[in-house]
Amino acid sequence: MAAADLNTIRSTIEARLATELAGSPVVPVVFHNMPYEPTPNSSWVQCQVSFGDNDYLTQGGTSDSDNLIVGIMVMNIFTPRGVGPGSNYVIGKRVRDLYNRVNVSGVYFDAPSGPEALASPAPEGYFQTQVRVTFESIEEL
Amino acid sequence: MAFYRGEEGSVKFDDAGSSNSAITSTRSWSLTLDKEVLETTVMGDTYGGNVGGIITGSGSVEVIYTASSSDETAAFIDHINTPTDSGSASFELFLDTSGDKKISFDGVVTSADLSATVGEIEIITVNFVTNGTITTAI
Repeated sequence: MAAADLNTIRSTIEARLATELAGSPVVPVVFHNMPYEPTPNSSWVQCQVSFGDNDYLTQGGTSDSDNLIVGIMVMNIFTPRGVGPGSNYVIGKRVRDLYNRVNVSGVYFDAPSGPEALASPAPEGYFQTQVRVTFESIEEL
Repeated sequence: MAFYRGEEGSVKFDDAGSSNSAITSTRSWSLTLDKEVLETTVMGDTYGGNVGGIITGSGSVEVIYTASSSDETAAFIDHINTPTDSGSASFELFLDTSGDKKISFDGVVTSADLSATVGEIEIITVNFVTNGTITTAI
């Protein structure tokens, strides 16, 4: 066994979303540290994967032992303002269903939170909701 | 002065009592050693007297369930289901990763608590008592 490759975990999570939103109807998706200039009155998704507090799982030294890697993915869903929430929640259901209690390549996703409407969209000019999913992965040293 | 942390510990076990192997995925272990006290106070004494008696031990090992079958983990978890237990199962509880500091004894598994809770890793707690000599190499 070896230390976890955080980029592998990140790409596993992001690839699942990119594949889903590349299907019909296509919704542009942008990830951490990527430039994106949204088209006004369009729909798009911003996905941010972050790793948080990790923990010991089992006894042992630097080998034959396990750690728990914990993270969260935050998906901001932007849809045109002033036309109601329907189209936003359609996208919200797509991304929520994608991670709801699934295990993808050893990444365990918890029950999603949201889509939660945000009072102050960022950037402005959109109706924004947020879906948050915590995830866990076991590092086998 | 050396200090040790819990993650340096480990457990080895053999249900046949001959060749111990590691139990994988142990989260923790604990052991309590007790010594009976025999009172030797007699009439006329001003102060009470005591001497040590029988020494026994009991404890537990907490294991993450991994369905492992290639080592002693499965045998350890399943040892509670041994109908005729002679108490010859061998335990070694290690305090450090070098393998030098350990407490070893034969014992009987007295109970196993299995649990599954949503959102949490499945944990099995195995409780035991010692049988016979307890060797402390600490």
